[in-house]
Amino acid sequence: MSKEENTANRPDNTAFTQQRLPAWQPMLSAGIVIPGFVIIGVAFIGIGVALFVTSQNIQVLEKDYTGIERNSSCFKCTNPRVKNCNCTINFSLDKLFEGPVFVYYGLSNYFQNYRKYGVSKDAVQLTGDLAYFTEPSTTCAPYQRDAKDKPIVPCGSIANSMFNDTFKLFQIVNSGNVEVPFDGKGIAWWTDYNIKYRNPTTNPLKNAFNDTVKPIFWPRPAYELDPTNSANNGFINQDFLVWMRRSALPNFRKLYRRITEGEYAKGLPAGDYALVIGYNYPVLAFEGRKKVVFSNVSWMGGKNQFLGIAYLVIGSLCVVMSIVMLIVYAKFKFPDEE
Amino acid sequence: MDNISGEFALVISGHSLAHALEADMEAELLMTACACKAVICCRVTPMQKALVVELIKKHKKAVTLAIGDGANDVSMIKSAHIGVGISGQEGIQAVLASDYSFAQFRFLQRLLLVHGRWSYLRMCRFLCYFFYKNFAFTMVHFWFGFFCGFSAQTVYDQYFITLYNILYTSLPVLAMGIFDQDVPDRRSLEYPKLYEPGQLNLLFNKREFFICISQGIYTSLVLFFVPYAVLSNASQDTAEPLADYQTFAVTTATALVIVVSVQIALDTGYWTIINHVFVWGSLGLFFSIMLAMHSQTLFSSSPNQFHFVGSAQSTLLQPVVWLTIALATVICIVPVLAFRFLKLDLKPQLSDTVRYTQLVRQKKRKAVCFSGGAGVRGAAGSTSEGRLGARGGSRRSGYAFAHQEGFGELITSGKNMRLSSLALASFASRHSSSWIDTLRKKKHSHTPTPPGAASGDSSPAPSCVSGSAAPPLSNSPSVLGGSQDAAIEEEEARTPPPSPLQAKPGSSTSHARPPSTTLLAASESTQGPSTGGGPGDTAPSAQGESGGWTLSLGAVQEALSNWRSLGVRSSSPGPPSL
Repeated sequence: MSKEENTANRPDNTAFTQQRLPAWQPMLSAGIVIPGFVIIGVAFIGIGVALFVTSQNIQVLEKDYTGIERNSSCFKCTNPRVKNCNCTINFSLDKLFEGPVFVYYGLSNYFQNYRKYGVSKDAVQLTGDLAYFTEPSTTCAPYQRDAKDKPIVPCGSIANSMFNDTFKLFQIVNSGNVEVPFDGKGIAWWTDYNIKYRNPTTNPLKNAFNDTVKPIFWPRPAYELDPTNSANNGFINQDFLVWMRRSALPNFRKLYRRITEGEYAKGLPAGDYALVIGYNYPVLAFEGRKKVVFSNVSWMGGKNQFLGIAYLVIGSLCVVMSIVMLIVYAKFKFPDEE
Repeated sequence: MDNISGEFALVISGHSLAHALEADMEAELLMTACACKAVICCRVTPMQKALVVELIKKHKKAVTLAIGDGANDVSMIKSAHIGVGISGQEGIQAVLASDYSFAQFRFLQRLLLVHGRWSYLRMCRFLCYFFYKNFAFTMVHFWFGFFCGFSAQTVYDQYFITLYNILYTSLPVLAMGIFDQDVPDRRSLEYPKLYEPGQLNLLFNKREFFICISQGIYTSLVLFFVPYAVLSNASQDTAEPLADYQTFAVTTATALVIVVSVQIALDTGYWTIINHVFVWGSLGLFFSIMLAMHSQTLFSSSPNQFHFVGSAQSTLLQPVVWLTIALATVICIVPVLAFRFLKLDLKPQLSDTVRYTQLVRQKKRKAVCFSGGAGVRGAAGSTSEGRLGARGGSRRSGYAFAHQEGFGELITSGKNMRLSSLALASFASRHSSSWIDTLRKKKHSHTPTPPGAASGDSSPAPSCVSGSAAPPLSNSPSVLGGSQDAAIEEEEARTPPPSPLQAKPGSSTSHARPPSTTLLAASESTQGPSTGGGPGDTAPSAQGESGGWTLSLGAVQEALSNWRSLGVRSSSPGPPSL
């Protein structure tokens, strides 16, 4: 009887409660660490070499066209009172710029990652919900309603500040200027185009925008963003989508067009070119800069020197560390007991 | 820890301790006690036990532990830093008041050397990792602030921020905090020196904290600037730039979770199945929750909340992103690995050495057993030492119970008994003659009682006792004198219920009256302070009866009188009726 009472009060004698669970106890032994470092080092050096070589083969051409210097061709456009200004940048290519060539516009000192700027949009309105056309969300303030208290569609600061410079590229040949065709389809994310931004289902699209006004800085309302292509209007306009995908850093570039058609599908041949820019977007007020970038891509994307060099550096450091550790281990050998 | 040279022990009784704990004496007591290897306080009241503990707590930078089993140990247990109660013979009072309790005194060794040590180790590792992972997580926003106009834009998705500490990184560190062991319990008992880092506060102090924080800051630097440098100019293979906010967020978040998971994998030294499940499960949970939140289904339910739709799928399919994550992980982890390996080689701690030998032994045992064909569980854990449960029958420890005399004297005085004088004599001789003295003194305060003389007009009892007890007293000094040495046998942990001494003759080990001399001293000292002016009176009375050992008693008397002059208790509430 007393024995049963005794056993009733005993603690559990299981492996879990008595901390006897079977376990693996790793130890940082030299046999694991030093070869591990060597393997990592060698692998990184290999990857680094591949990345560096790939990156070296990518061609990039950048042209700043802000027009700060007096002698630049776009200086005349920096005057804010000049409307519909066009300026031309001339450049020449020594050798074939291999295709497909991608055209980007780049901005500097432009903080799309500013927090208040980033929340200034109405995600529900942009999915085509007509209820939010008449009542845009208050997060869009001060671009929620205009001075006459009419709702702005699309509301918010991001939409309002949409980039509106235009570019045309001409190759200068003997017979004159040949326009290089640009392709603007599918430059935005698939999920943006198909899921995140939807047009209201009203047909014609223009009727959905009754009793609303366009954003203050826009030249044309949303349903007229692309006069040449009726499918590229409203919220699913590719340029609009590219702009709405805001950037993480103050110096960024966004995809504008790609050159994939006709005889330029294989790339831009060597020669002279003229880039005609419709200069609409003012950046000098905040000391920003604008540039246009031509680039081609590889499996790892665009030109990225940092990745290749970083891998090479880290790989060699690992190998050096493993040699050091080997020397230390050989000198102060961990004593083998028994 | 002080270096104690010499082999001294201090034995002090409750009455003396009452003096020693006074404000002007306690520093002396502390110094003396700390210079000894052991201190035995006997016949102390519960309050005095607590006062001794508090004395040590107040003046020494040490952690105190008190262990006891009776209701009179409760105040001591409560006042120590760690209170341990022994459940068993004395009831469960001490258990209810204690922080830890077990059934046998010898379990204290396991409590300290195994569980206490593991607990300290786990707590330190847990804290270090917790600070590290939160600094790595938060400081990224600090660096990002320089690039976003200090607008408090978060680098990560808001749901990631919410779930990071709850789901993605809490379980692995919890498992480490519960299960981690650096050496198995058998080795902990074998090498008590492993206990030292806990006493010296080696595993988590300002220096270690600073190292954790700097590692967190370094990790945050890497986690921000590597994606920054790579993604600012990178693009997908479809030429869309990768520098958009949501791609950057997903890349940084993935790199962060992977880096801190690798770090916890390095920190965990004891991988049970639960650790495996938690670590790899948390990583899997991160990816599945992120993919679920960036899916179209949730977006369609609430576009404003789940506006990261499509980011995870788009980002994690890019080789550049994985190369970035791998680069960030290696830059964060490789220095830690190298540093730990070098530290293990150049400055191994005792626990590392023990662990290493343990693993070597295990491997050898495994090799032998595999070759032998028998399957021995080479588990790192050992079977628990010490059988739980009673060993059949209770075994009382050899401790004496000491307490101040109660009214037992009155009973044993034989006042109410009609025994022959011989019987009474033998009866009385078994007990302290000092009781008789005490009674006599109490009854007759200022009158020196002649041996055998009936001072007992006021009370017949002592006179009877004194009268009859006088002859045997002179016969029994050997018994009484020899028992002087036995006072040392008393343990401080044991106090009896306040019953008269003669009720427990069996509990004392060998001598008939171990506490006799101390009782004598106690009785004397009780007399001393409480009676304002009767020391001299008591002395001759003691001298009259005690015969052979009058001298020692007199010396004690004088010492006590000296103390009494210093004592605060000169003002007595009135002499007890003597």
